[in-house]
Amino acid sequence: MNNKLQIRRAALLLVLLGAAYAGLAYRLVDLQILRHDELSAKAELNTQREFRQAPRRGDILDANGNILATSVPVKTVCADPSLIGAQSQAVAEVIAPLLQLDTSAIALKLAPRSFLVKNSDGEMVTNEVHYVRLARNVPEPTWARIYAALTNFTFGTEGRKLSLKERESLHNLQWHSIFAESDQLRVYPNGPLAGQVIGFPAIEETNLDGHFISKIVGRDGIELAMQKQLSGVAGWRVTETDKAQHEMVALRDEDVSARDGLDVVLTIDSAVQHIVETALADALQKHTPKSITGIVMRPRTGEILAMVSLPNYDPNHPNTVSPEARNRVITDVVEPGSTFKIVVVSGALNNDVVKLTDEFDCEHGHFAFAGKILHDHEPYGILTTEGIITKSSNIGAAKIGIKLGADSLYKYALNYGFGQRTGIPLPGEARGILYPVKDWSKVSIAQIPMGHGVAVTRLQMLDAMCAIANGGWLMQPMIVSRLQEHDGQVVERYTPQRVRQVISEATDKQMIEALKTVATKDGTAAEAAMKNYVVAGKTGTAQKAENGVYVSGKFVSSFIGFFPADDPEVCISVVMDEPKEGYYGGKVCGPVFREIAERCASYLNIPADPSLATNAPALLAATNSGKIQVP
Amino acid sequence: MARNRKNQAAEIRFGPVLKVVLLCSLIGGSAIGYVWQKSQIDRLGRQISECEIKLKQTKSDNKLLVDQIAFLRSPVMLDHRVKELNLGLVPAQPLQVVRLVEAPPAPEQDSQRQFAQRPVAGETP
Repeated sequence: MNNKLQIRRAALLLVLLGAAYAGLAYRLVDLQILRHDELSAKAELNTQREFRQAPRRGDILDANGNILATSVPVKTVCADPSLIGAQSQAVAEVIAPLLQLDTSAIALKLAPRSFLVKNSDGEMVTNEVHYVRLARNVPEPTWARIYAALTNFTFGTEGRKLSLKERESLHNLQWHSIFAESDQLRVYPNGPLAGQVIGFPAIEETNLDGHFISKIVGRDGIELAMQKQLSGVAGWRVTETDKAQHEMVALRDEDVSARDGLDVVLTIDSAVQHIVETALADALQKHTPKSITGIVMRPRTGEILAMVSLPNYDPNHPNTVSPEARNRVITDVVEPGSTFKIVVVSGALNNDVVKLTDEFDCEHGHFAFAGKILHDHEPYGILTTEGIITKSSNIGAAKIGIKLGADSLYKYALNYGFGQRTGIPLPGEARGILYPVKDWSKVSIAQIPMGHGVAVTRLQMLDAMCAIANGGWLMQPMIVSRLQEHDGQVVERYTPQRVRQVISEATDKQMIEALKTVATKDGTAAEAAMKNYVVAGKTGTAQKAENGVYVSGKFVSSFIGFFPADDPEVCISVVMDEPKEGYYGGKVCGPVFREIAERCASYLNIPADPSLATNAPALLAATNSGKIQVP
Repeated sequence: MARNRKNQAAEIRFGPVLKVVLLCSLIGGSAIGYVWQKSQIDRLGRQISECEIKLKQTKSDNKLLVDQIAFLRSPVMLDHRVKELNLGLVPAQPLQVVRLVEAPPAPEQDSQRQFAQRPVAGETP
């Protein structure tokens, strides 16, 4: 009997246990199999964290590796006001002096507040503010001081005397209420040096799943033109953190490093840039023009060593950038004036329409053509083709233009690159204005040779002069030399590009001979002559046109030259817009050219012209002429 | 049978004891090994984390120094310092530069000749 009872009880217990185990088994299957995806996603949300790894923006370097623009790691200091409670004033008093900000403004930001928002059911609910930004671009040492100051923050009473709630509140305030996000600050160590070439940045913010991601984007110059190469690619890390938000490295999952942006190496030489900027700044003070520009280029390669436009700006202060500080070298077009004579004369020489020794009657300064009177600045009589360049006779150039013909003149202007962009990788380059022959007026054939009726950028005009300095070959201007990794490994190298041969080498030699006479006592730019080098160049003094009418007393003065004339190393352009205290290109721009050229020659170690080395010691002169070889 | 059992009970069976000890050691050792391994992983994780922070800090310090060097080497800064210190430094003039032209190697007239070899009597060296 007892046995039966025991067996029944045991069977009941077995059934109950079996049911319990079956229930557990079902629950196990439910959790582990049926709801696996849902629950594992929930679990991941609780433990896994994804961290974005911002790429470092590449540097901009000059030709010698000097840093022109770099990125410095900084912090953006943020706060969670809901964790600060009634301590906003006290916390503000601690951190405001370190951030060098107003205490009351910080206290206001730290004060807990809430806002109304519609929830998913469409009901209005109150949400607390959990994120405010206190300061941007905070140096890392400053953040370290803020962090240390906060961890030592107390409520004024001993920790042991605080209640559990107060202790928790203090802990949150000390460790979680103020936090920092990693950021980058773009720094330009040389200040305004080459500012317009480098450009300036702006911060662009995107909201990614509730997180603000800030990114530096270029707004001008190389910063804008090479944005893609400079910016790099972001990485990420999926990992797990403990309660204190410390990463558990062993549980790190995906870990893709950010790919930093490439360094952009320019052809700009910061020393040459500095030489040009200081020379132009002096000229700006002396002649007070509206603007002044200077460019230095290597004619053989098209490499730009310096590009300056004053007024300029300091990219460290992008808020102060004004439209007047644009890079006028490429953005503005002006009538070139007499510098354009190189186009018509070289074209006529190349077509064998004229010779350097051919003579032209310059009509003593007054020449009636197509119902207009053309003038010269001096009443010249008979001048040779070379003399027309030397004296810069408008009438002589007009007569050569008429002889060359409209179609040929247009073809040469086009071949020299006028009316089209040079292709320099800088934003905002203008095409210039060169009308097709069908749109020319009757007087155009006489006006264009003297640099009226066309509009060019300063860079186009310099590039045309460089073609003459380079055996007639037009080169594409280069401003970027190469792209490289931060460790110096070259990723892409840009090589000099020949565009086309505009004139033959024989014509080119004749042109150089003619241009050599400009910087002499008989020429229009005696002030541009150098002590130890023969200079070839051309002056330009173009009357400015406003509302379609030439305005008296307003000129664009220029001088473009290269040296040593027979073996050109550098070509320099100086252009002033509305200079005072003189306006002739040779008078106002010639001395500036000479100053830049002499300092550049010394810096670039360009050998003195042997024919001018008269003041040198005997041994030196002989060495320079190649008679003596020093072993 | 009973006697036999009685006799057997008095004997110490080392085999099963050893097996139990071994099994326990194995299980215990595995558990300790597992914990030790986890602890090592955690310790190494912390070390990696510390090293990463150190590396980041070192890179940041290095960047700061590189920037400082760049600033000190910049032409603007150098020019400013030269003017500030009134050193009277000016660029060298082209004629103050002596250029040394490397002489081309002399053509070898007699490749058999040794430098130490004395000229034969009557032959000009």
